[in-house]
Amino acid sequence: MTLEDLRAAAALRQQTCAQIKKMIVSRLDLPIEPAWITDDQPLFGRGLELDSLDVLELYVAIEAEFGVALYDSDMSVFGSVSRLADHVNPALAPSA
Amino acid sequence: MDSLTSPVKSAHPEGTAYGTVLDADVALRFSTLDAEYEAIRERAALLDLSGERIIEITGDAASAFAQRVLARDVEYLTAERCMTSLVLAEDGTAVDQVVVWGRETGLLLESSVGGGTRLLEHLKANADAGVEITDRTAEFALFGLEGPYAWGVVGRLIDGELAALPFESVVDTQWDGVDIVFARTGVTGEYGYKVLVPAESAEQLWTKAMEQAVPAGQEAVELAMLEVRQPVMRHEAGEGVDVLEMGAGWLVDITKEEFIGRDAVMAAFEAAAERRTVGFSGGDTVPAAGTPVTVDGEQIGEVVHAVHSIGLGSALGLLRLPPDLAAAGLKLTVGDTEVTTLTSPYVTPKSWSTPII
Repeated sequence: MTLEDLRAAAALRQQTCAQIKKMIVSRLDLPIEPAWITDDQPLFGRGLELDSLDVLELYVAIEAEFGVALYDSDMSVFGSVSRLADHVNPALAPSA
Repeated sequence: MDSLTSPVKSAHPEGTAYGTVLDADVALRFSTLDAEYEAIRERAALLDLSGERIIEITGDAASAFAQRVLARDVEYLTAERCMTSLVLAEDGTAVDQVVVWGRETGLLLESSVGGGTRLLEHLKANADAGVEITDRTAEFALFGLEGPYAWGVVGRLIDGELAALPFESVVDTQWDGVDIVFARTGVTGEYGYKVLVPAESAEQLWTKAMEQAVPAGQEAVELAMLEVRQPVMRHEAGEGVDVLEMGAGWLVDITKEEFIGRDAVMAAFEAAAERRTVGFSGGDTVPAAGTPVTVDGEQIGEVVHAVHSIGLGSALGLLRLPPDLAAAGLKLTVGDTEVTTLTSPYVTPKSWSTPII
């Protein structure tokens, strides 16, 4: 891939990540700007410190925003914003 | 200031390999990296965290001082809670990453491994009237238990009810009749616990713990930390590298109105970023820090730090890249090797799918 191809691929992921961050901040009413959350930031426990109630809220929000149902209780989906992006935008997943 | 050594060094397994990490002489490997890593990721590992300084902050102004020097909000941190925070310099670079233990009489700050002297000097240089800063390291030993079955070890050694405490809880309790401070916190993404024990009982308790868990040295711990993108300060926080470039903004409460380094962090946040950090894997050879990252022969960044990941079976590390290329899923060239940038965590901890029973 050329440098421009790589920039385009990175922009696609960063757009999805930005959409996820905006959704998290809005749905959970967090007092921070979405851009403050980094793509690699852990969402639960250490990191953004979301809890199990927040997970339920995010399940609903993700389905409404991205049309993707995440009901398999696989917590690794929430390992980071970028990991979540793989699941809500299949074009980003490593196998794509 | 003297280099730290472990108070339980004489009880370490025969053949333990030691090395210097900043201001501390620590166990790098007790046995083999493979065995210790396997204990962290598959069973339960025992960590000797004696390379971390324990610094007590007390006095009438302790709370206000802690709020000023810590990048996270500790105003409501009770004696039953702990949290991880960065300590920043005025220029927004990281002085250290600490675990803050709430205590009735003030706070305990646990430095990163080998980072204690620098932390202590920074705290003293910024001390206010009404604050006492005391290095308590020699009075304690600090042990860690990490792994998907570390909760079972806590149950067998101390008390099963402690294993399921909420994350970042702190409890004053006893272990074999010895007063200890117990916390549920860790760094590898697995179930993690820490035990602060009096130095005079440390060897006795370490020996007991060795019967239940495999001791793991600094190399295995740092590998496991990198795999879940937990910052390893000595590799990631270089001169002139701000916390946003490190990707450690999550250890800063930017909603807190005032703390040392806040203005610099805010300025960096509002300015156009020059570099960002992203993980990568690929190849069998571990590239040195500073190895160029290229695309079609053009250098676009460099390696921050890399190791061989046992979990991935390849080199694993961090790259500093321009922001418009700092994303997962890209094929880049590091040295002569093709690598792929990654989403975090790079290895999914087994504890995430292992219930405490």
